[in-house]
Amino acid sequence: MMSAIVTTDLPRGKVSNRIRLGVLLPTIIVGIPLIVFVLYPLVQILGRSFSTRDGFGFGNYAAMLGNERFVRITYNSVDMTLTSTVLAVVLAYVFAYAIQRSTLPARGLFRMIAVLPLFAPSLVQAQGLVLLFGRNGIINRTFGLGIDIYGYWGIVIASVLYVFPYAFLILSAALAVADARLYESAQMLGASKWRAFRTVTLPATRYGIAAAVFVCFTLVITDFGNPMVIGGDYTVLASEVYNQVIGQANFEMGSVIGMVLLIPAAIAAITEKYISARQHALISEQSKPLIPRPDRTRDTLLGLVVGMISVAIVAVMAVVVFASFVHLWPYRMDFSLRHYAFDVQNGIQPLWNSIWISLMAAGVGVVVVTAAAYVVEKFASPATRLLYFLAILPAAVPGMVLGLGYILAFNNPSNPVYAIYGTLFIIAVANVYYYHAQGFLISSTSMKQISNRFDEASATLGGGRFHTFVKVTLPLMLPTIVGVAVFFFMRSMVTLSAVIFLVTPHTQVAAVSVLYLQDRGATNQAAAFSVCIVATVVVALLAARLLLNIFGYRKMPLIR
Amino acid sequence: MTAFMFSKHSALRHLLAGVAFSAAMGMAVAQADDITVYTSYEEDEIAAFLKRAKEDLPDLNVNVLRLSTGDLHARILAEADNPQHDVIWGWAVTSMIDPRIGELIEVYEPANIERVPAKFRDKDGKWFATTGYMAAFCVNKEVLEKKGLPMPTSWEDLLNPVYKGEVVMPNPASSGTGYLMVSSILQEKGEEEGWKFLQGLDKNIAQYIKSGSRPCNAASEGEFAIGASFALRAIKNIQSGYPVAMVIPAEGAGNELEANALVAASKNKDAAKRFLDWTISDNAVKGYYDWKEIVTVTGGSMPENFKEAGLPEDISSVLWDMDFAWSAENRQRILERWQRELER
Repeated sequence: MMSAIVTTDLPRGKVSNRIRLGVLLPTIIVGIPLIVFVLYPLVQILGRSFSTRDGFGFGNYAAMLGNERFVRITYNSVDMTLTSTVLAVVLAYVFAYAIQRSTLPARGLFRMIAVLPLFAPSLVQAQGLVLLFGRNGIINRTFGLGIDIYGYWGIVIASVLYVFPYAFLILSAALAVADARLYESAQMLGASKWRAFRTVTLPATRYGIAAAVFVCFTLVITDFGNPMVIGGDYTVLASEVYNQVIGQANFEMGSVIGMVLLIPAAIAAITEKYISARQHALISEQSKPLIPRPDRTRDTLLGLVVGMISVAIVAVMAVVVFASFVHLWPYRMDFSLRHYAFDVQNGIQPLWNSIWISLMAAGVGVVVVTAAAYVVEKFASPATRLLYFLAILPAAVPGMVLGLGYILAFNNPSNPVYAIYGTLFIIAVANVYYYHAQGFLISSTSMKQISNRFDEASATLGGGRFHTFVKVTLPLMLPTIVGVAVFFFMRSMVTLSAVIFLVTPHTQVAAVSVLYLQDRGATNQAAAFSVCIVATVVVALLAARLLLNIFGYRKMPLIR
Repeated sequence: MTAFMFSKHSALRHLLAGVAFSAAMGMAVAQADDITVYTSYEEDEIAAFLKRAKEDLPDLNVNVLRLSTGDLHARILAEADNPQHDVIWGWAVTSMIDPRIGELIEVYEPANIERVPAKFRDKDGKWFATTGYMAAFCVNKEVLEKKGLPMPTSWEDLLNPVYKGEVVMPNPASSGTGYLMVSSILQEKGEEEGWKFLQGLDKNIAQYIKSGSRPCNAASEGEFAIGASFALRAIKNIQSGYPVAMVIPAEGAGNELEANALVAASKNKDAAKRFLDWTISDNAVKGYYDWKEIVTVTGGSMPENFKEAGLPEDISSVLWDMDFAWSAENRQRILERWQRELER
């Protein structure tokens, strides 16, 4: 904003033109890749959904809507997603409340457990649930029960576990800030604790709740890993896109379902942005931070819920680890390393591919989002509004839709990007742009916090803009850069959605291997592959933590 | 800290160099002796066969895309304008003789083609079948005992209401194993009776599964009592120690041959032909006998553990005499009806 004002205040003429170009050029340079890798694929998929045998038209949409099975699948998706979202947000709220507003012991440990599912591909939840609650899973075998987990409730429980950390992180942030004065007033006015919660806490966190609802809704409705493993014959839209595109190579129908998925996701993302913009106004400079006081009844109740959720999360992950190390699940439970031999045709190569892709995504991602955040902050002009929109647009795009867009846009020899099509690099690029919005927001928040005065000081001392950026801004941003790199690395290691349509026989990635192994029923090997992914992510996190600690950033959170 | 990270911009330069390097690495696509093979062989079969191929053709890099038979069918047709592969390997004859596929493959008779009996070859010389597989049930003995269920011996037995929710079978639209089951039932019983049978069977089916091997694996792990699958999966799972029995349906086991062909649009035909020659070499045939219940090429014998699992030495005695031409001609019609009436 500042630069924009400066520009208009300058006398018109040569100087202003030069400045205007100087302001616009970085915007254009940073904007072009966003147009190529986000906007263009989306336009392609939109076009493809309207392309029919007899030209352009609504034929594909009409065919879908007239198909009884498709209508049923759509209903299945919405039904399952709503249930999962409500459950996940309610449970995550209680959990986050316990972490932020109670004196429960070991809150740090519980916080780590809450984010554990982020370290694994989405379908690991379903894997674990089948091992525990399958018709011949541990629970049924041990207690002689007849629980049948396949279908609706299987998908719901797996989805709740999968999106729990996302909801928890958002709600935890919303509950972290509170004005103690409001609670003091409530107490003085004789309000019960429950009433204070209803009239103070809940309204103050309504934006966080809304954001969590939308994020969970989008994640669940577009996830196909869990439904494929545990859904049985309960088909949902996301697995149908997968079947239409991978199975039947029907890109038109895949595109139509992709557009159908894009609509709720886009509405969710826009509403979330709108709502979260209002969040900040709640805390003023006079606010007094709330320090939770001990309360035995409250803490016991919260402890019970937190304990149960934690046991569920840990048990599902632990049983996968366990199954990967036994000789023959569920008949010979003696220790064996044979599932780690990976005697499938590509062996362990997909894990290396994933690591390499994630490193590239981390490297490219840091450069891309830092540049975008820097340009939006320091070269403000009307054009940066557009840039900002493009930078956060991917938040509204389901991964599978973006991936499908990449096939349609770039699997075409006349497109220059075709040169990297079918390589590991394009998978890394897809991951960078799929997670661009979050990376960009982390970067730009941190950039805002670095006072402009540093820039001014540097400029006064004769440093050029680039010099200032490299010598002042970048070093101050080091912890953020590490955080962004970790973010891209972690997500690229576990994501299925954006990459599923881009993998080729020689660019297979680890999360997709887990899906394939599980899909043909090689349970133990699929578990072993999942364990390798989780181990890689944990090692990377520990390395980043160590790096930050060495440089004195002990407080800097790595997972967001 | 500043000095460490960004002295003379070197770190930034390294990062940029890294990005450029990554891009260059990514661009190194298909080289001369790099072929792409589409197949519906099982993952573990592919691994075993390719290990042997590597011994004989160390300089040939074989990239494999493995998809279920029906999925691969759709994929090849969808890519018809710009095929991405050089060879079709181990893929259902029923799919291969689709005339639309016929247009995409070209005549090639590999060295020593006479090793494959003429009845397993295309009369125009476009494809040859080296292996095949047959339907079989994987029955979990532990589950049967626990639930007091009888051991089934035929498709007809599976109609018994006691098996409700205990049977899983492959989805014929995506799985070749699933299609050969449906097709053989329609051939054995006649269309009218056959569809009635499938409707009745549907009442006992817990899930239609996309893959042909997963029903057996699910039954082996005790998730369901009976998994309709193919014989080799049953044999391998018995060998692994699962409490399963292999049951060959008494009506005669539906079966399918797996054929190989050269893709007409291949940009790398010499390498593709070398690979096809290899598929009927001694070493390849040895691999087939270890892994396939049906091998058309002579040069090996059935391993002991196949017989122990219940496979007769003369396998033709338990096979239904499939009319592959009928299966192929009616494939689309049958699958459409199946999807309309039975897909969930």
